[in-house]
Amino acid sequence: MKKELRFTVNGQPYELYIKPKTILVEVLRAHLGLTGTKRGCDSSSCGACTVILNGMAVKSCSVLALQANGGEVLTVEGLAKGNELHPLQKAFLDHGAFQCGFCTSGMLMSSKALLDENPNPTKEQIKEGIDGNICRCTGYNSIIRALTGVVKGEYKEEK
Amino acid sequence: MIRDFEYLTPKTLEEALTLLDKYGDECKVIAGGQSLLILMKQGLVAPEYLIDIKGITELNYIKSDAKEGLRIGALTPHRAIEKSPVVRNGFAVLAEMENRLASIQTRNWGTIGGNLCHGDPAGDPAPVLIALNANLKMASLKGERTTAIEDFFLDYFETALEPGELLTEIQVPVVPPHTGTVYIKFNVIESDLATVGVAVSITLGSSEGICQDVRIALGAAASTPVRAKQAEAVLRGKKITDNLLREAGQIASTEAEPISDIYASEEYRRELVKVLVKRVSREALARAKQA
Amino acid sequence: MSKYSVIGKRVHRVDGPEKVTGSAKYTFDIVLHNMLYGKILRSPYPHARIVNIDTSQAERLIGVKAVVTGKDTLGRKQSTWRRFPELCDEEILCRTKVRYIGDPVAAVAAIDEDTAEEALDLIEVEYELLPAVFDPMEAIKEEAPQIHEGVELNINVTRHIEWGDVDEAFKQCDYIREDHFKCSSQAHVCMETHCAVASFGYDSKLTIWTSTQSSYYIQALVADMLGLREGDVRVIKPHTGGGFGSKFELDSAQFCASLLSMKLCQPVKIVLSREEEFTATKRRTPMYYSVKLGAKKDGTMLAKEVRVITEGGAYTGMGATALYLTGFFSSFPYKYPNYRYDGYRAYTNTAPASAMRGFGAPQSTFVGESQIDMLAEDLGIDPIEIRRKNGMTPDYEVPGQAHIQSCGLHQCLDKIDEHIKERGELPPNRGIGVSAYGFMSGGIFNWFDTPYAFSAAIVRINIDGKVDLFTGACDIGQGSDTTLSMICAEELGVHLDDIRIHAADTGICPADLGAWGSRETLMNGNAVKMAAADAKRQLLEFAAAKLGANIVYDMDIKDQWVHMVDRPERGLSYFDIVKDTIRGRDGETIIGRGHYTPHRKGMISPAYSFGVQAAEVEVDTETGKYKLINVTTAHESGTVINPVGIEGQLEGAVMMAGGYGFCEDQPMDEGKILNPSIADYKLIRSLDMPETKILEVDTYEPEGPFGAKEAGEGLTNPTAGAIGNAVYKAVGVRINDLPITPEKVLKALKEKKQQAE
Repeated sequence: MKKELRFTVNGQPYELYIKPKTILVEVLRAHLGLTGTKRGCDSSSCGACTVILNGMAVKSCSVLALQANGGEVLTVEGLAKGNELHPLQKAFLDHGAFQCGFCTSGMLMSSKALLDENPNPTKEQIKEGIDGNICRCTGYNSIIRALTGVVKGEYKEEK
Repeated sequence: MIRDFEYLTPKTLEEALTLLDKYGDECKVIAGGQSLLILMKQGLVAPEYLIDIKGITELNYIKSDAKEGLRIGALTPHRAIEKSPVVRNGFAVLAEMENRLASIQTRNWGTIGGNLCHGDPAGDPAPVLIALNANLKMASLKGERTTAIEDFFLDYFETALEPGELLTEIQVPVVPPHTGTVYIKFNVIESDLATVGVAVSITLGSSEGICQDVRIALGAAASTPVRAKQAEAVLRGKKITDNLLREAGQIASTEAEPISDIYASEEYRRELVKVLVKRVSREALARAKQA
Repeated sequence: MSKYSVIGKRVHRVDGPEKVTGSAKYTFDIVLHNMLYGKILRSPYPHARIVNIDTSQAERLIGVKAVVTGKDTLGRKQSTWRRFPELCDEEILCRTKVRYIGDPVAAVAAIDEDTAEEALDLIEVEYELLPAVFDPMEAIKEEAPQIHEGVELNINVTRHIEWGDVDEAFKQCDYIREDHFKCSSQAHVCMETHCAVASFGYDSKLTIWTSTQSSYYIQALVADMLGLREGDVRVIKPHTGGGFGSKFELDSAQFCASLLSMKLCQPVKIVLSREEEFTATKRRTPMYYSVKLGAKKDGTMLAKEVRVITEGGAYTGMGATALYLTGFFSSFPYKYPNYRYDGYRAYTNTAPASAMRGFGAPQSTFVGESQIDMLAEDLGIDPIEIRRKNGMTPDYEVPGQAHIQSCGLHQCLDKIDEHIKERGELPPNRGIGVSAYGFMSGGIFNWFDTPYAFSAAIVRINIDGKVDLFTGACDIGQGSDTTLSMICAEELGVHLDDIRIHAADTGICPADLGAWGSRETLMNGNAVKMAAADAKRQLLEFAAAKLGANIVYDMDIKDQWVHMVDRPERGLSYFDIVKDTIRGRDGETIIGRGHYTPHRKGMISPAYSFGVQAAEVEVDTETGKYKLINVTTAHESGTVINPVGIEGQLEGAVMMAGGYGFCEDQPMDEGKILNPSIADYKLIRSLDMPETKILEVDTYEPEGPFGAKEAGEGLTNPTAGAIGNAVYKAVGVRINDLPITPEKVLKALKEKKQQAE
């Protein structure tokens, strides 16, 4: 039997009827068309599906959508303000912190959650912050440099 | 593919226990679901009813007092334990262990109770809690009971939970003075499951004195997390020396009953137990001296 | 004015804004009107005859629209080695026999993925089990079961390379050693699994959106397999989530989605699950190496004899190329005056082993660089010194095989030598291992039998000066869209944002063989440069007339300024010239055309890049575990077009090739891959990633666009060898079979201790 799911995604409230078995990433991608969030493994291992739920980074392939009922979800589509990119996005561009781009949305969301919680992480803490995300292209170091740039204040958010 | 199920969301423990009692074998309990959903996707678990207890806020807490020790609600997320000042101050080993458990994302949503009830012998919390002499509180409609955590694990992915029962609380007694507890897991990839994990708690009579008590717990070294009691006996009541540490490691490695799998052979796991028991005990001893 | 205005600059990738905002569309994201979802039923047995397939129950399931089996195909077999019919051995949907666990036997299209998956359970396949063989050494024995009809001893391909007089040369050697190595399998683990959306319409035309390294190959192979005209098949590559060698062969998602769509005249989407990706797509070829190496006392290497048997798996795939290249690169990067290679590829009842980043060169480099260190130690020569003594130099002829023009190997050796000296005395159990390598910039061979140029490009200049660049090159993440746009902008004398690239859509782009063999920068780059030059010439003809220049070649464009080369201040705006030219030609579009096929460049490649890597490790002698501390690479890839891209390729290669040396493996039991998930297949993560340092060496490759050559796969070659040598330097044990796991290191340490006692 379908159940009601009320939650907000990127600030927009939604009301949906879904099968209880639907996982969060499927609701975001298939029901809301927010395909920025990817699926890479379905075993909670790769982090490509990372979104921020109630302020925390989670793997949306491993969360039942109904567990997000009443919650707030932020996806990669909610990072930029209109055509003004988020500092992390600018830093990723400058540092070439992505190649194929398939892990990038998840990587950005893990990075955002990390910096929201700790705006001044050490290099080791940055590594920990993105350790749940696999990138098969970059070898991570450019991503670490991008985050370091943001931490150093090289990318200011426009107010 | 996940099979369809009826989804039930009790708001209180009482409601959850009632549902659990009603649906028995046909239901499965989900908390953070970090392990369960993978099994459901693989079709290995396909319940008719899924009881989602993650929303039961009364089971999400961390409390501590000088007499009772630490009380952690079964639905407390790993990340909350990792970051809790109470845990960091009084039970640092728990926070350290959590810091290397899977990924931040998993720790944010997964719960300590869910991890324990999954019964994976390679899980990180169990050895640490065994070393800390923790008890587990379980509840059913019939009432509550408490068991030592080392008696909770029966076999691979099998626990002592009876039908109709839920794990509700993890109880860690007050750490005696001059006690040091350390957990180290061996793995090739830093944040991976343990190939072997070892937790050791050592209590000294005084800061330089003899080993009054010791608890050595092994993960991924048998079908369940286990205590290495013979190795403990080597250290207990003695002034610990390097030779004794080596001996304890040696004995623990024969006591362990590891398996061979794609990550390590039985022989290698025994070797790891030997080395880790020695190293972790040494570090626990150093901590005990400072405690 | 500086020499270049665009190339060599740190620019944002042209696909960057889309990728960092999640708006980049991958095949995985595509949803079409009236689209169905497909799933593939695969063999659970390594070797079996298909007696019967009953699809009736599955067809009756509500929501199922079609079920296809081998009977619905034309019964053709294919491979990318199209020129050689005997190597076209893969039906994709098996009709009579399955040859590995994962071989496809049926496919379903249904209204959603769950229904399709449910239908798979309802298909009844009756198998007659056949004896199977998994080990290539067993497969080539008389008594082994035959995997492909008519293939004696299961020997799929043999390769022989020889020059000089090897037997005579060994007699001249002061020192000879013979060693054996085993190179393991490796999974590509593209973040986007293989997937395709196929749409066959009532106009009898098929369009396929797919995650691929070669839209052209897929177009041609799908047309062959389904009996369509090539021109009626349009293959579009949207953004692609990685390839690494796994995506330039026709795959089951592309073929089954197309077949189902043709049957239904509805779009069908198939996305392989991660488990299918691990078990039923191709993988790096495992190789068993026996090598005899002979040298003079002073370290001059006189002769090398290499014998390789590869575990081919069930089909040829690109395995024939891996077999050849591992033999060729076994001589790299050294000047062996006498060399002999014999390679055998055996069919086995395992997942087909084929191409992966570096083809067979990561294997040969691990073997060669391990052995040269052993030789150096035996002779008491410094590892850098022995490499200097034998290393390739510019203008070197690999006898009968290749002509190497640019080569910066010796400068790379100098830089790494300096790096090691800077590191100074290391603490106990730490060591730095060195590994030298080279790689090709695209392959010369034409086993695909294409009648087209290997690369081609079209440049169209619009009235506002905006340039449309059409190319068949496939950006799979490596950044060819950016690199080619930079080349186009530089040649045309405009800015990077004046270029709009349209790539890898066979409906509008000229054919290109695709992104494999590190070929796009050099081959497609040359085609793009030629096309841009062609378009530029048309502008300059007009400008020359206007400015009264002697001849058109006295003029050029740079930074949107059309000018006399000798008097740069005399010129006109690019935008004005574009408008005038178009108007002056009665509105005829300005189109430049370019193409590139290497000619008279030997057997392998038009150009080679080189490098030397140093890996530093620290070994825990009680557990055998070692930490990758630092990987420093001195490399040369000709003129650097896109520096940010090269950094990414290099650091990414350390993750992938480091993984090959450190932890990645595909253990099997009776043909079944035991770790088919990212949880169980170990990958280097951020906490495990070593520091990386890049030391650039300048070279100029005459054959490459602006002097550029490859910087993609070659970087995957050295790391496993460097790690092996580092472990040896640290604790004195050598591991000859990959991956170098802690368990193997500990075992070797124990054996060493026992021997010492």
